[in-house]
Amino acid sequence: MLVRLIVRRLLFLVVVLVGLSLITFSLSRVVPGDPVRLMLGPRASKSAVEKVRAQYHLDDPLPIQYGYYVAGVLRFDFGDSFSSRRPVSQDLKEYLPATVELALFAMLLSILIGVPLGVLSAVRRDRWPDHLARVVSISGLAFPPFWLALMAQLLFYSRLGWLPDGQRLPIEIDPPRTITSLYTVDALLTADWPALRLAVQHLALPVLVLAYGSLAVMTRMVRGGMLEVLNQDYIRTARAKGIGQRSVVLRHALKNAMLPTVTSLGLQVGLLLSGAFLVEIVYSWPGIGRYAVLGVTRLDYNAIMATTLLIALIFVLMNLVVDVLYLVIDPRISYG
Amino acid sequence: MSADPVAVTPPALVPAVADEHGGEAPPRTLGTFQRSPPHDQLRRNLRRSLIGNRLNLAGLLIVALFVVLSVLGELLAPKDPFAQDIIGSKLLAPSLAHPFGTDELGRDLLSRVMTGTRVSLQVAVVVLGIAVVVGTLVGAVAGYLGGIVDEILMRVADMFLAFPALVLAVAIAASLGRSLRNTMIALAVVFWPWYARLVRAQVLSLKERDFVLAGRSVGLSAARLLFRHILPNAWSVVIIQLTIDIGYAILLTSSLSFIGLGAQPPSPEWGTMMSTARNYVREAWWYTTFPGIALTLTVFAFNVLGDGLRDALDPRSGQR
Repeated sequence: MLVRLIVRRLLFLVVVLVGLSLITFSLSRVVPGDPVRLMLGPRASKSAVEKVRAQYHLDDPLPIQYGYYVAGVLRFDFGDSFSSRRPVSQDLKEYLPATVELALFAMLLSILIGVPLGVLSAVRRDRWPDHLARVVSISGLAFPPFWLALMAQLLFYSRLGWLPDGQRLPIEIDPPRTITSLYTVDALLTADWPALRLAVQHLALPVLVLAYGSLAVMTRMVRGGMLEVLNQDYIRTARAKGIGQRSVVLRHALKNAMLPTVTSLGLQVGLLLSGAFLVEIVYSWPGIGRYAVLGVTRLDYNAIMATTLLIALIFVLMNLVVDVLYLVIDPRISYG
Repeated sequence: MSADPVAVTPPALVPAVADEHGGEAPPRTLGTFQRSPPHDQLRRNLRRSLIGNRLNLAGLLIVALFVVLSVLGELLAPKDPFAQDIIGSKLLAPSLAHPFGTDELGRDLLSRVMTGTRVSLQVAVVVLGIAVVVGTLVGAVAGYLGGIVDEILMRVADMFLAFPALVLAVAIAASLGRSLRNTMIALAVVFWPWYARLVRAQVLSLKERDFVLAGRSVGLSAARLLFRHILPNAWSVVIIQLTIDIGYAILLTSSLSFIGLGAQPPSPEWGTMMSTARNYVREAWWYTTFPGIALTLTVFAFNVLGDGLRDALDPRSGQR
């Protein structure tokens, strides 16, 4: 039964992926100006332009161009980046780990703080933990991530000098030996303690800023879930049986209260990846968000479209994982 | 969008037929709003939720201030927001003459922040206007006709929803070319699927209700049933969503402007200002600080107002 549902979700995924590729393909064709002229410069000879047009199949009818586009994407070939003059896929491979590291730690942090804060605020409703949770959940959604990033930089780097202003590591330091490409994990695995300390210091500000937005959502979801569950009969029954508050909350209520939060995890990934666009640019964090944003200013459309497609793919896959996870946690749900 | 909370609740919010079914409890569906409370109770709810609650009141006041500034900003601004004075007043710290300081071209930041409200409101109105009209039409048709039409329209909406909002907006705005107009188009494309889904869900539940069946049996046309009888009852959810989305649309616009898309200098759009201010973070803290505070407060106010409206219009969803 479960397998059949998963297969069905995978089929739906294919439909979505076709849609995604159609959207990015259409976008790359409405780009203003001639991409070949952009690539070769205004003084390129006519024959050179024609050669490149043929090479990129730009003279074929649109459906055939789309066919070439999909075939390329399936081979992880997004064309060359106009700015780095390398295949975009190579750029993405280089920049993706930095974004993954950033988003992963931000997610972890928002879970570690958001879940306890949400639980506490539901249990101590209308007391100070609840007020704190409300401030967090309201402000987290209102703060522009890029502004928060700038302000944190102003305070912790310019004024206090406690933390570096950007990059993953100082330029003069070699990154730890590559195992996962996540500097913190690699440094830990190779027992490179100075590099670990530096990597954590450089991660601190971007992670804190990025985590704040999803922390708001997390807290709100956990609080809402807890309040709903705590009012239910089985909790009253558990209390009536004389089970202590701690056990009622943590063993009986939290498990069910987490269901809506789990479904929101997919959305959180979207939030984190969007936030990465804005936070990475402020902290010169060499991830795919910064890559795409620099692509915007350099009119590097292959880079923008590839990043967009990659992020959408991650987003869709994460949502699929969350859906399946939800099925496993809550057997009552069946996707009809 | 209006400063007056009562003005955003047209009488149509109360279904004409609801009273005839007064005693009947509607089936409870998660997340949908099925029956409005009677009119005077609605007004009481609004008053209690928006004016009785200090946080919501603050939100309402900030929104009111925002709207007033966006209409009269240039008249109320102490100085000309575009007047440069590079030699005399470049990057001056906040003082009595310039409460928010000045920027790298000697322009008065308070005046610029005040006039920036107009760009933001303009974007929000245009973007959400398009999104609501398109989304409502698509959602209404999909929900009412059902079947294959519904399937196709909703799959198309799903495709747009498969991108994180900001990422899709960046891709579209970048492809169309950097300008505020193109950014507005991009944001409208990002927002319409949400309204399509929202309205579709409403129409799906409303079209089975007795007053629609009654209308159909009298021989009303599908269009008349949909636009005169079903959609007016779906407005409250749309208005709640709209209020929250105004803040979100303003935030997204500023984010895009910060990246270099969206409004271009010398526009006093807040994101555009902060994008320039980034280069002066160390010597002029006020330059990034004040536009950011204005943006945060505005987004905060619309979020709070949206929450308050939801509590008032849809009391069941309120958890407090």
